[in-house]
Amino acid sequence: MRPRHHAPANSGHSDALVVIAGALAIVIGASALGLAVNHLSPRRLPLFPVPAAGQARSSAAAPGPRSLGGGGSPTAAAPAAIPLPKGLEAISIGEARAAYDKQLALFLDARPADQYAEARIPGAVSLPADAFDDHFPDAADKIEASPFLVIYCEGGDCSDAIHVGERLFEYGFLGIRIMVDGFDPWATAGNPVSKGSQP
Amino acid sequence: MRNRGAAILGHPATGGLCRLLIGGIFLYTALPKVLRPDDFARLVSGYRLLYPDLVALAGVTMPWIELITGAFLVIGLIPRSSALVAAVLLAAFMAAGALALLRGLHISCGCFFPLMGDHTLGWDLLLRDAVLLILTLQILAWPSSFLPCLRKSAPSSP
Repeated sequence: MRPRHHAPANSGHSDALVVIAGALAIVIGASALGLAVNHLSPRRLPLFPVPAAGQARSSAAAPGPRSLGGGGSPTAAAPAAIPLPKGLEAISIGEARAAYDKQLALFLDARPADQYAEARIPGAVSLPADAFDDHFPDAADKIEASPFLVIYCEGGDCSDAIHVGERLFEYGFLGIRIMVDGFDPWATAGNPVSKGSQP
Repeated sequence: MRNRGAAILGHPATGGLCRLLIGGIFLYTALPKVLRPDDFARLVSGYRLLYPDLVALAGVTMPWIELITGAFLVIGLIPRSSALVAAVLLAAFMAAGALALLRGLHISCGCFFPLMGDHTLGWDLLLRDAVLLILTLQILAWPSSFLPCLRKSAPSSP
């Protein structure tokens, strides 16, 4: 049994200071590393939201071209593939369905209001690209409360979902997914659809 | 009997297990967040606790703090400091989660994979964090390390 030495009265104090200094070093060092990695990353997260009146972002920074075409797989190469602008990411119908089932995402319908009234994904909020400013104030609370946003339009070569996604990204919203195949393939694949006055 | 309990609690193997468990969980939960800071920032904003301008900063820095803390705990580098950071993070997660639950928010906890397979925030997750928080106290009291050069410098009791 090793004899225990009685430490000086201030040794506990200095031990605690060393532990706290080490903890601060971890926090500061790790934060600096995170900021540096974010700065160098092609998926850089803007630390401050872009003003709402700002210009639409360049699509050149998108991580890679993604097909918006014709009801096929989102990974299928298409000659006229439109790269998604920065801040937006493609999501397949299967992934969107998983997010729908787990209620992890708010679905935003970027189609004109009359098409939304006719049929939509259950629980989706109408945010038409052609009347964004009119509808956004009503949808803002739900958008802020949802961890992820899945935006869709008809499908095929529609771009309304991208326009809505760009506006939301400019407003500082994150976690924006574009269901590139669109509503029509969602419905024809037998996924849930609300019609008329159904919720 | 009391001495025996203290001996088990203060045994290096107990410390090693606590560090591996907490460090492993921190590493496992931090990796997806490091890879997808935008998703994590979105989850943080769901708690509605931070100013919007601070959400992205938290999304970029917090996962790295978790990652480095987890790695340090696993290898036993400055174990008491790492355990202190882990304890503060766990206490912050619990406070944020409890506030969200008390306000009736039904949100994703942001604990595991960002979109698919994530967990909805609930009291069970706060209980898990509380258990981990208690385990960090063991590391703070009886620091241990897998690194041979650090073993001798660790005190045998608080």
